[in-house]
Amino acid sequence: MRRRAGLAALAAAALAWPWLAPRYFVFLASLVLVNAIVAIGLNLLSGYTHQLSFGHAGFLAIGAYTAALLTLHVTALPLPLTVLLAGLLTAAVGVALGVPCLRLEGLYLTMATLAFGFVVTEAILNLDALTRGADGLRVPPAPLGPWRLASDTARYYAVLAAAALLVAGAVNVTRMRVGRAFLAIRDSEVAAHASGVPVAAYKTLAFALSAFYTGVAGGLFAFVVGYLSPDAFDVFLSVDFVVMIILGGLGSVPGSILGAAVVTVLHDALAAFQNYRPLIFGAILIACMLFMPGGIASAARALARR
Amino acid sequence: MTAATLVHVVVSGLATGSIYALMALALVIVYNATRTLNFAQGEMLMVSAFVGWTAYRALGLPLAAAAVVAVAASAALAFVVERTIIRRSIAATHWDVLIITLGLSLVLRAGAGIVWSHDEFPFPSFFGTRPVALGPVRLAPVSLGILGASLALMAALYALFTWTRLGRAMRAVAQSQTAARLMGISVERVYAASWVLAAVVGAVAGVLVAPVVFLSTKMGLVVISGFTAAVLGGFGSMPGAVLGGMLLGVIENLAPLYLPSGIRHAVPFLVLIGILVVRPAGLVGRVRQRKV
Repeated sequence: MRRRAGLAALAAAALAWPWLAPRYFVFLASLVLVNAIVAIGLNLLSGYTHQLSFGHAGFLAIGAYTAALLTLHVTALPLPLTVLLAGLLTAAVGVALGVPCLRLEGLYLTMATLAFGFVVTEAILNLDALTRGADGLRVPPAPLGPWRLASDTARYYAVLAAAALLVAGAVNVTRMRVGRAFLAIRDSEVAAHASGVPVAAYKTLAFALSAFYTGVAGGLFAFVVGYLSPDAFDVFLSVDFVVMIILGGLGSVPGSILGAAVVTVLHDALAAFQNYRPLIFGAILIACMLFMPGGIASAARALARR
Repeated sequence: MTAATLVHVVVSGLATGSIYALMALALVIVYNATRTLNFAQGEMLMVSAFVGWTAYRALGLPLAAAAVVAVAASAALAFVVERTIIRRSIAATHWDVLIITLGLSLVLRAGAGIVWSHDEFPFPSFFGTRPVALGPVRLAPVSLGILGASLALMAALYALFTWTRLGRAMRAVAQSQTAARLMGISVERVYAASWVLAAVVGAVAGVLVAPVVFLSTKMGLVVISGFTAAVLGGFGSMPGAVLGGMLLGVIENLAPLYLPSGIRHAVPFLVLIGILVVRPAGLVGRVRQRKV
């Protein structure tokens, strides 16, 4: 009961946000939501099946460029369809990367995803006929029926709707058979296999799902920021996503959202101290692993139990 | 393309490759002892090169002394990090340590940026600039110098691992920690020694490569090429790391001759993905049987 009341209050606050906050904070909230979607996607892969990825900025880039190019070249394609296509294409790339990666464990998988991220940014730079390379790509406002999402508020609501759907989806997935299979794989691949969990299929599914979430987030990201350039998707962005889920809590959907909010707001607040930003994020990573291995989510759970 | 050009390209590839090989050796030394990857190895190399440069510029030390300062600083840094951070998480999983070293690499990079700025600085070279002519082939002294110094260090490492007590202890720990402990080897001391040794190898690579690529906070990214080299040779194998490094260096130098030039930066990554997909155990490695 208390849980339901809390969720309702949260929903009301999210809906009322554009009337409460100045315009810039509406934009920032959209960014938080986009990052939350990525963090949930990454958590489905890393937190639930323990396959750490340093390449999610690459997935985000694929989603973002797909959505931008679709809007530029296919006029009047409505926003939900654009974003869905961006997600599906990214998921296809995710499977293409995930299937060969099935043979890899731990470190090797992490480094393969890291390399993937670099290859994506190099590809964007070299396919400049399509992506305009280093000059960057301006993204027109997203069409939705007869309207165009040209204001921060309109974009915020679009992102909020997508985020709500994806959060509900993730919560359900993690509670279903699939989620339990993911957790079994995380705890012991061999034991999961012996208990009849098709490990290869579920690991591929985790990759596909994670890439889909990130691709959708990329599509939304393109419209929220309105301008794409390859250097925005460098390896440090992938690292930011890792910081989000480590800080928020591996294997926790609310933790992912919280981690994304903290990291995004910190990122923005420290814009004037760019040199100190990685210092703080790096210290957060070390401190989390040493003193708070379950992130905020498990620390909060421990507090509630007291 | 003439044979002379080809030889020139291959030799400079071997020089780049020997840097990758040293980086790969540093990663493998830590991996063999602790079964974890030190993601911050590249940043430690970068910091030690900066310390050496400061000793040379600010304190006016001769270049050779500055290089010694760089290596000593690197060893001290590794010792402190191992003692204060890694040792605390000795029971932690590889995953935890990987994330800790990732955090460490961010901290070191940002710290170096704050102290020395993110600009590029020219680093003095040990070697002259006049090309050495070998018949029709003209070779850069830098390439030969890097190659020679790296090979000497590799020989020293070989001697260390083959003939000394410490080297034997490190190999024993790599084979089985439990058995090594039962034989009276202090595994903790081997951990610390491995971190320090890896840092020394990394610092030498840093001092050798800094004159070629310029000194900057971006230098740390060489860790990825080092990892690629180590995987190419079969992760965990030291001769494999050397072979993989040399091969990667040559491939990286040859690729732009035959493929579009834009591909050069992507070469280590494409090679890494390729080798992981086709043969994750590396060129000389064997697929390890997993025990449950």
